[in-house]
Amino acid sequence: MSMLSTFTPSFALLRSRWLGCPLALMLTSTWALAQDKRWGPGEPASDYGYRFGELFWLITTLVSVAFALVVVLLIVPMLRDRARPGHRASFDHGKSLHDKRLTAVISIITFIVLDAWVLVIAMKDLREAYWAIPAAKDPQTYKVEVLAQQWAWSFRAAGVDGEFGTPDDILTTNELVVPKDRPVSFNLTSKDVIHSLFLPEMRMKKDLNPGAINLAWFKPVVEGEFSILCAELCGFAHYQMFGKLRVLEQGQFNEWEAEASQLASTAFDADDTEGHWAWDWQE
Amino acid sequence: MSSDHIHPEPTTFLRKHVFSIDHKVIAKQFLWFGLIWLGIGGIMAMMLRWQLANPGVPVPLIGGLLFPRTGGVIDPATYNTLFTMHGTIMIFLGLTPAMIGALGNWCIPLMIGARDMIFPTLNMLSFWAMFLGGAVGFYSLFVPLGATEVGWTGYPTLSTTVGAVGQGETLWAIAVFLIGASSIMGGINYITTVIRLRCPGMTWMRMPLTVWGLFLTSILNVLFIPVIGSAMIILVLDRVFGTSFYVPASIMSGGTGGDPILYQHLFWIFGHPEVYILILPAWGVVCDLLSFFARKPAFGYRTSVGAMVVVTVLSALVYGHHMFTTGLSAMLGESFMLLTMIISVPAEILFFNWLHTLWKGSLRLTTPMLFAMGVIFVFGLGGLTGIYCATIGTDIFLHDTYFIVGHFHLTMAASALFGTFGAIYFWFPKMFGRMMSERLGKLHFWLSFFPLVLVFCIMFISGYAGMPRRYYDHTSAEYLRPLQHLNVATTVSAFLLGVAQFIFVFNFIKSRWWGKTAPQNPWDVGTVDWTIATPVPHYNFKTIPVVRCGPHEFSNPVLGPDTDWIYQTEELPG
Amino acid sequence: MRGISWQGLAVAFGALGLLTSLQTSEDENPHARAPRDVSLVVTEGAWLRAPGADWFAQRAKAEPGRFTHDATAAGGAGGWVDSHGEYSLSEIEGEWAYWQWASAERLTDGRQDFVQFCSSCHGLNGDGYGRSGQHLRPTPRSFQQNKFKFTKVTADLPSDEALLSVIKRGLAGTPMLPWDLSDVQLLDIIQYIKSLSPEESGWRDVYSQVGDAIEVTEDPWTDTKERAIVRGREIYHGAASCHLCHPGYVTNEELRVIRKDPEGTTYRENLTYPALKDSEYEVLGRATKVMPPDFTWHQMRAGTTTADLFQTIASGIKGTAMPQWKGAISDEDLWALAHYVENLIVSYKDQPAARSAFMGGLRVSGDNK
Repeated sequence: MSMLSTFTPSFALLRSRWLGCPLALMLTSTWALAQDKRWGPGEPASDYGYRFGELFWLITTLVSVAFALVVVLLIVPMLRDRARPGHRASFDHGKSLHDKRLTAVISIITFIVLDAWVLVIAMKDLREAYWAIPAAKDPQTYKVEVLAQQWAWSFRAAGVDGEFGTPDDILTTNELVVPKDRPVSFNLTSKDVIHSLFLPEMRMKKDLNPGAINLAWFKPVVEGEFSILCAELCGFAHYQMFGKLRVLEQGQFNEWEAEASQLASTAFDADDTEGHWAWDWQE
Repeated sequence: MSSDHIHPEPTTFLRKHVFSIDHKVIAKQFLWFGLIWLGIGGIMAMMLRWQLANPGVPVPLIGGLLFPRTGGVIDPATYNTLFTMHGTIMIFLGLTPAMIGALGNWCIPLMIGARDMIFPTLNMLSFWAMFLGGAVGFYSLFVPLGATEVGWTGYPTLSTTVGAVGQGETLWAIAVFLIGASSIMGGINYITTVIRLRCPGMTWMRMPLTVWGLFLTSILNVLFIPVIGSAMIILVLDRVFGTSFYVPASIMSGGTGGDPILYQHLFWIFGHPEVYILILPAWGVVCDLLSFFARKPAFGYRTSVGAMVVVTVLSALVYGHHMFTTGLSAMLGESFMLLTMIISVPAEILFFNWLHTLWKGSLRLTTPMLFAMGVIFVFGLGGLTGIYCATIGTDIFLHDTYFIVGHFHLTMAASALFGTFGAIYFWFPKMFGRMMSERLGKLHFWLSFFPLVLVFCIMFISGYAGMPRRYYDHTSAEYLRPLQHLNVATTVSAFLLGVAQFIFVFNFIKSRWWGKTAPQNPWDVGTVDWTIATPVPHYNFKTIPVVRCGPHEFSNPVLGPDTDWIYQTEELPG
Repeated sequence: MRGISWQGLAVAFGALGLLTSLQTSEDENPHARAPRDVSLVVTEGAWLRAPGADWFAQRAKAEPGRFTHDATAAGGAGGWVDSHGEYSLSEIEGEWAYWQWASAERLTDGRQDFVQFCSSCHGLNGDGYGRSGQHLRPTPRSFQQNKFKFTKVTADLPSDEALLSVIKRGLAGTPMLPWDLSDVQLLDIIQYIKSLSPEESGWRDVYSQVGDAIEVTEDPWTDTKERAIVRGREIYHGAASCHLCHPGYVTNEELRVIRKDPEGTTYRENLTYPALKDSEYEVLGRATKVMPPDFTWHQMRAGTTTADLFQTIASGIKGTAMPQWKGAISDEDLWALAHYVENLIVSYKDQPAARSAFMGGLRVSGDNK
């Protein structure tokens, strides 16, 4: 009883109108849309932002080569080694020493090329950039305390006097103003549930856990307005928890800071202790 | 050592079809249960995709019925419930019963030459515990404030009463606990059965790799489900009894309290092995199916077994890669990154063995084979994208974006699902005594394959572009509005994928009752389960078989020119 | 297993449960522990004050067939009848007034939606002090106070539509976002919020008046915006004396000229900065202060179109030092003010260079920081 007839692939299906329609639909729907389409995260705007793009594309290159190989190794047997009358598979358990050596060599090469190379770069990135929190003592560091809640961001800057917990602390909701070309250092915590501060153009992300303070930092190098998003499910309005990050040139920033501090001092109610939420800066 | 316990044939309807202790009936119970819940989870996914592509637009057909107070629109809280239940259902109520429950129960005794599982009553309890878990989960949809909406990961403090008042989350924790209990029961059964009930001659190295996969999965189940069980108990204590294991004191008010990160550790110590739990059976099935349909031995059997064992052993050591942005210490972060990369090596080895199995084979491109090869494709894609996730330098940006969603769906959902489909198409003739339609099967494969790959590959683009996950609407934040075209494309593909599954449903139901009668061994495969008649008699084997060779002796030259396979119970000539 | 006292274990567990359910001390922050036993059911319906006859007249046009005018109602004075039975006319202490019935089922739906969507800031009991509302300034509204800042009504209490409008638009610059909920859900939440009125106050008070947002009359300055701005500047610093709370956007001398005050008159310190004012809004029993906005710097909560500004100025901001200006100055002047404020926003807000030049120019005279 020959079952071979049921084994031949229905390549005809692929070429048929049957499959063509859904494919065409998928392709046209991808293109037939509004203006202002974006396909990537936009240009990085922080000093370490380029690292993400570089590493991402390195991995992509390596992975594409590997995957292309896999696809070739899938398609060639599909075409060349199809069962047909009189055709026999080559008998190989893969137990021979040669096979074991081949497996070992391929594994080692794969590990070095796909994993170790990337690992080394990542560790460099972590130590030089992402986890290299700038010293709080350094006057260049611009410190911001972030208190997240359902569903808004509260930012506190020390104001002109440089100390937290004083009347001139600048409090903003859903808007963060920072100076360009100076490291911005964060103390992050939450009032209620876990949130995550995601600055996509700055390539920064860090969770805000209630009851603990997390540290993070970035250094903006481009002036302008950027996005703040929440990246940890925090309730039904998680998607609405966004804000604006404004990066100002040092001169403009100084003006802004002076004015904001003054306004903050004017708005300060010393008796309203429940409204005061600063904490001592943690490093 | 084979035991010759034969439990007497049941006589009553209840004992035959409801509270059966026969592994074959239990397998079918798990299969129907799993497939139905996969359907429910799939419909939820379609609703999620609808909302993302058409924010604020009422869901067609079923919207008015399901969401009357919003005029058919999915509101943000319901959206959160949908993705939470989608994840929970697909993992715990869909894949676990369909793959581990159904496949494990069907294949293990039959493939090792046993008459049943070693603990038949425990087996039955395992199904009903899962059923109860599903019932509790289903019930939670109807309580005030509805079912849980805090993500299937259920992080506190969102999942404590700080973030989620109401019974829904508590019921969810209880449901997960019950399902976990079911898995532990099943795990104990599978492990003991494989160790104790292999028929004479069935050495460890002659077992089909499907059984290896299920065996290793069971070890992981037994070891790590208790961890999530305890995480759930503590969550229930916090929610119902007012303890503060996960609820911290506020920074401002000082004092001691609990730690929400404790949950994350507990959850992921289970959670990472869980993804291996879901994939190991699929890996085993794929190893076997590739060999069966390439008419070639599974390349590097021992190496494959070794790879699966190493993955099993290392699985809990990598869990921290889910927590790179939580504020772990640098040392921990880097260690987890290194370990995650190391664990990819055995997976890569297994992968190469698959490709080697195909190379210079004689491929019979049947439906099960297509799905097995499909697993190679989607798992390759998913596994390779794991490198982006393991590397902290890229994960900082990609964490909690659609990149991760694409990655885990390809590795977990697509691979395990394709493995499940392959297994169903393969064992259907023996389970139900009828053949599934090959034509419809192939159509199902191709119409699923392209949309599936498209759905999750577009998600990689979305994630790279910075689109966070678990968002109700990506048109609120200005940064995300230019990405809406990706949402639409993903949704269209997802709907095509969803529609294609109806082909499977139709094929399954039609073939179950009206399919062509299946021959005893339609696939020319030599494992012990194909030596017996169809339908399989209650006692499986009249006499316990004696195994004389491995399961993959295809195209062995000693078999001569007329045949390329041999039953495991037969002696290899010469 | 031998050796383990199962009874002992049970007792220990029970003790644990008992201990954790003991009441905590009253001094403790109410949010020190996670909430337990949150009620999600309202057992009794409530009669809530409804708006007056004018409102019904408008609704009759919007929903034909539902409301009919019965000349014999209200003891012969005539009144509206609701065929749905939700609104009814009744006499209390000689006064005929309209009441709205919110059933227990409706209030239960509202309660559940409120807990789901609003309680994190507004508190599980609507007292404005939810866990996420801690340390927030301005504070989230307490619904037990029956006072609302931005509903733009002149009556004591806002109508359903006025509240709906605020919730749907949100209050820009605050965590009160424009929530994506359906009207059905929002109206149920609104009924629940109204039912939180303490006995004989707010919506349970016979004498309360409920009104719609103030009507936006026709803008007489549509073709003469420049003149409106000039007139607005005069009113702002003159008749309305907005500079007493808000910043003054002129130099000392210019102010003196506008106000026709004698030579040498000085005005408050920090004239170009706002002055902190008391408000009636309480948190934990303590009244908080509010900062009148500087239009060139702060975000306007209730909308920045001329019509929005007109309404906000006209209706005032209840419970704060911002009085109701409708009636105190003419509509024409109200519109002028609106144009002037809008001009300030458009010219200087989020434009650091322009603002800096403008405010710097005002402050250069030394005695007017």
